[in-house]
Amino acid sequence: MKKFLLLVLALMPVMVFAQGFQVNLEGEKQIGMGHTGTGTLQDGASVFFNPGAVAMLPENYVQAGISPLVFMSEFNPTNSNATFRTANKIATPFTFYGVWGPKNSFWKFGLGIYTPFGGLTDWGDTWQGKYALESLDLKTIYFQPTLSVKLTDYLSIGAGFVYNHADIDLHQAIPISNSAGADGQGHLSGTGKGYGWNAGIFFKTLSGVTIGLSHRSGVSTTFNGNAMFSVAPSVQGNFPSPNTFTSKVPLPSTNSIGIGLYPSPNWTIAFDANEVNWDVFKNLSFTYAQKSSTINTTVLPQNYQQAYTLRGGAEYRGCQKLALRFGGGYATAAAPADFVSPQVPDANRVYFTGGIGYKLARHLNIDASFEFEHLLARQTTNAYTQLSGTYETNVYIPGISLSYHW
Amino acid sequence: MKFLKQHYYIIAGLLLITACKPDIKTPKPTNGGADFSRYISIGNSLTAGYADGGLYLAGQMNSYPSIVAKQMQTVGGGVFNQPLFSSDQANGSGYLQLAGFSAAGSPNLTTVTSNLAVRGQIAVPGFGNVTLYTKYTGDIENYGVPGIKLLQITYAPYGNLNGFYERLLPQDSPNNTMPYLAFITAKPFTFFSNWLGNNDALGYATSGGAGDVLTDPNTFAALDNLLIGTLTAKGAKGVVATVPDVTSIPYFNTVTVGAIVAGVQQANPSVKGIYINALVSGTTYAPRLATASDLIVLTFPTSKIGTPVTTPFGPLPYGLTPYTPVDNQYVLDENEIALTREHVVAFNNTIKSVAAAHGLAVFDAYTFLNNVKKYGLVVDGVGFDSSYISGGIFSLDGVHLTPRGYAIVANQFIDAINAKYGSNIPETNVAAYPGVKFP
Repeated sequence: MKKFLLLVLALMPVMVFAQGFQVNLEGEKQIGMGHTGTGTLQDGASVFFNPGAVAMLPENYVQAGISPLVFMSEFNPTNSNATFRTANKIATPFTFYGVWGPKNSFWKFGLGIYTPFGGLTDWGDTWQGKYALESLDLKTIYFQPTLSVKLTDYLSIGAGFVYNHADIDLHQAIPISNSAGADGQGHLSGTGKGYGWNAGIFFKTLSGVTIGLSHRSGVSTTFNGNAMFSVAPSVQGNFPSPNTFTSKVPLPSTNSIGIGLYPSPNWTIAFDANEVNWDVFKNLSFTYAQKSSTINTTVLPQNYQQAYTLRGGAEYRGCQKLALRFGGGYATAAAPADFVSPQVPDANRVYFTGGIGYKLARHLNIDASFEFEHLLARQTTNAYTQLSGTYETNVYIPGISLSYHW
Repeated sequence: MKFLKQHYYIIAGLLLITACKPDIKTPKPTNGGADFSRYISIGNSLTAGYADGGLYLAGQMNSYPSIVAKQMQTVGGGVFNQPLFSSDQANGSGYLQLAGFSAAGSPNLTTVTSNLAVRGQIAVPGFGNVTLYTKYTGDIENYGVPGIKLLQITYAPYGNLNGFYERLLPQDSPNNTMPYLAFITAKPFTFFSNWLGNNDALGYATSGGAGDVLTDPNTFAALDNLLIGTLTAKGAKGVVATVPDVTSIPYFNTVTVGAIVAGVQQANPSVKGIYINALVSGTTYAPRLATASDLIVLTFPTSKIGTPVTTPFGPLPYGLTPYTPVDNQYVLDENEIALTREHVVAFNNTIKSVAAAHGLAVFDAYTFLNNVKKYGLVVDGVGFDSSYISGGIFSLDGVHLTPRGYAIVANQFIDAINAKYGSNIPETNVAAYPGVKFP
């Protein structure tokens, strides 16, 4: 007698971007030094770290790097001794920078292509949180043309335009058993785009200390793509498929300040501080083109908060050809405890880095880096899915880059 | 050695990766103040793993006691044998399956009748026909018997009247004389769960107050004291559960008076409502118009409404006149509900006070299921409520649970045990159990 309605939590594959999605792998020299670079002049990566510093770079650069990373997460449900781990999959954040200006000119032009946000988490289809997420592969690629101008020998400024191209691929189980007792499956895949800008100022003080300030704007990214749902045939009508979706995700702006200290000709010491304005991420809305009683437009609160990072690092150049680097940092979580999700189990984190640079030829440098990042164990209960437990994560990131400079 | 040398770097690399996985410190398992080495479960159909209107192998495998016992094994729990049907007779008593939905969205149910464990039927004088099932002769830890009431635990001939109990006993009906209480306490045990009492109210309610009687609360109290006193006599610890509010189940909340009237009015707008034979007081019933406070059972064939019924005044439409009210067995009317509730509250007060007197853990199923009905429940990204089929907790019979529903209940038992005895039996992963199976 009663009209049949399925009770399913709003199916909204949550494209949560967390602090953990800010991959912070924007240049091997900088990674080696604890990912500092706002207040120093290292190479073409200044396009990312501080467009204001680009005009001060002594040479022109073409460089490319890659930092394959393994994100190892573990989940222990509340009141249980079970543990679930992500599969060891390798994500490949990369960078490309080009900086060019006439010799001894007051300006330089730069182009950066880099991957500031991304995530690759694969929990599998049998773990306790499969109805929240099975796997997520998210990549963002920023394209950033930049112009930088030296106003005096001590002060330069710069600004760039940012185009963001994003790819997403997400799998999630649907809690509807078919006749064999197997779950339904949802699969979303799509692309996103957004625009933004960044700008910076760079000072060389009389004492030799260098100081940089930069601002990277928020990039509101709109995702469009296909949604496929496969559930038991008798209820497939509740899940119009194939379907399309639209979702708008605000990526946060970042304010950075950094300084470079040069206590001796052999040493560079750098410090950076960042404020990441994740508090723009208040809600996540998700719209399907074909709606039903089960598949509908949803707005979910996320209530992210401001996140901060402190970083420090040093470089030692013992001889002409070799540079040794080390550093580390601490970052605060953006997701409040009741909005942590398995997409990226956000938590306060600490990281240590090391690096080595070698001059292969007069114009050619090779740089290698290694980063170990530890997301502290965090006990959470997600307000939406009620998935409750402790997450802990280790990230291993080797990296290598080649730079040609003249 | 050559292999080792050649692959030294690979092995070292693998060791590094393995060594550097995050490793969350999970709590050290402890049995606290309880001994789980032989856990037995006592109860009715819910304990047996009954689901979809039948007892069958897949349901037995997902019974809440079997889930609890499996979780207990990390803290010293022993083997847990259930009187399982064989795989050849896996469909046991038969059960309901969802075949699909009508255009209006009503579920179409079919009954599974193959591979049953039915061995025959016997007519018991003064009682009626009893279906008999293939005997089970192995060890038993799960003593759940579908249909049993607390009222019947000392009744010696009960093993001849209930086929699900008869199949556990050595004798064939009608030669059994072993009361349930003696049967379950024959072998020593260290821990028990007891969830008896539902049928002392549910039997009356599901028959619309017509086919059964409510157990007298004083009798209930005396038997509960006897049961718990016997179970704890040799020092065993345990957990008991309260009786759910029988009106919190979809069996009574799916087919509503409003929906029936709306359906009839589509064909005949002049119809004001449906007539039921309602309890006035004592055993006096009188016809009146049904209201939203009266509950119709899930199994009511709504197509009966309006069909001609022969009366002294000529043929009149079924359910639409005071002379042709809906049969009593299909309706739990307002006064019957009040009477049932009164009894359930009294039963639960007894269950809780007897448990307290013996220092036992309590899972308050009454409060838990009322809260699910009122607020719903979200576990691991799955939404649940008390709706029929879509709610996810209740199986196709609208009374018993889905495997996922039983897993939720198992975790409630585990939480109650852990809270009382300081143990830390791990909870089970609810998401790993299926819900209602859709074709």
